[in-house]
Amino acid sequence: MNLATRKLSRILIAAVLGFSALRGYGQDAAKLQLANLDKLSEKAARVTDVTLDGSLLQFAVNLIEKADADDKDVEQLQSIIKNLKGIYIKSFEFDEASQYSKGDVDAIRSQLTSPRWSKIVQSMEKRRNEYDEIYVLRNGNKVSGVVILVAEPRELTVVNLVGDVPMDKVASLERHLAPGEKHSDKPKQKKESGHDQE
Amino acid sequence: MHFSEDDLREALKRKDPGEGFTQRVMVRVNQSKAEDTTQPAIKKTNGKFLSWWMQRPVWAVAVVAMLLLAFGVGGYQYSEYRHAEENRIARQKQQQLQQEAERARDQAIMALEIARAKMNHVLQHAQLQAEPNDKIRRQRL
Repeated sequence: MNLATRKLSRILIAAVLGFSALRGYGQDAAKLQLANLDKLSEKAARVTDVTLDGSLLQFAVNLIEKADADDKDVEQLQSIIKNLKGIYIKSFEFDEASQYSKGDVDAIRSQLTSPRWSKIVQSMEKRRNEYDEIYVLRNGNKVSGVVILVAEPRELTVVNLVGDVPMDKVASLERHLAPGEKHSDKPKQKKESGHDQE
Repeated sequence: MHFSEDDLREALKRKDPGEGFTQRVMVRVNQSKAEDTTQPAIKKTNGKFLSWWMQRPVWAVAVVAMLLLAFGVGGYQYSEYRHAEENRIARQKQQQLQQEAERARDQAIMALEIARAKMNHVLQHAQLQAEPNDKIRRQRL
């Protein structure tokens, strides 16, 4: 192996390593650290905690992909889920107001300060103490992560979707895809299953 | 019974072993050594055992055949049991995986439903906030 070939192979290896590191960084950047919210479980009347990634998400994707593709709802679901790398949700509903602190919310917001994250929707009602925000992580022209933050007096919800998220399709998902309606066995939750139905 | 000193002295006094005593002793010693080396105790019994079977060849063949049959049947049954057990474990694993996958699917569907609900909730709130501002702007115009 001459000197030029050796140099070229070194450059190639460095490029591959750099590329994979960047890919990993992109995925890591889209995933938020939500562990600081776990302490709210004790105060909350209703807790929804979803952590789906890696092989578990792949299981779900495989099973959904095997489902009847003629069904339009399933088709829509397939198109959303196939490019997702992780789904993380923490939702707390309280019987009384002010059960979580501003610091709890700020700990989430502080992770969204990087220039790659952009706030695309903000709804703020100071009198009612309601702060709702949607952030997206852009990777070129693609969206590689979404965070939906709903901070209301009796509710704190953080939805973190990692991967290529088709926002329009998520927003227009059919309501009857909810597992309670189509499937008998409900997924495991900490206190009780359920969430806001609009 | 009482022994006097003279009796004891008479009994224990030196006696001449006679001519060729040493030779006789050495012959005896060599004889016993030769017996030990040529016929050990175990070999004697083995020899007896084998000779018993050698005299009854039909019995020997029958016993060997029985042993082979027993080992064969036992081995076959054991391999069948192992095969059934492996199948059962594989089926159990498959069932577990299927259940896990179904749970994951339901969780994914529920998560996307929550994402949809919350996204629409935020968008609705943002829209409601924008509407009064539009009305004021239109009134000013």
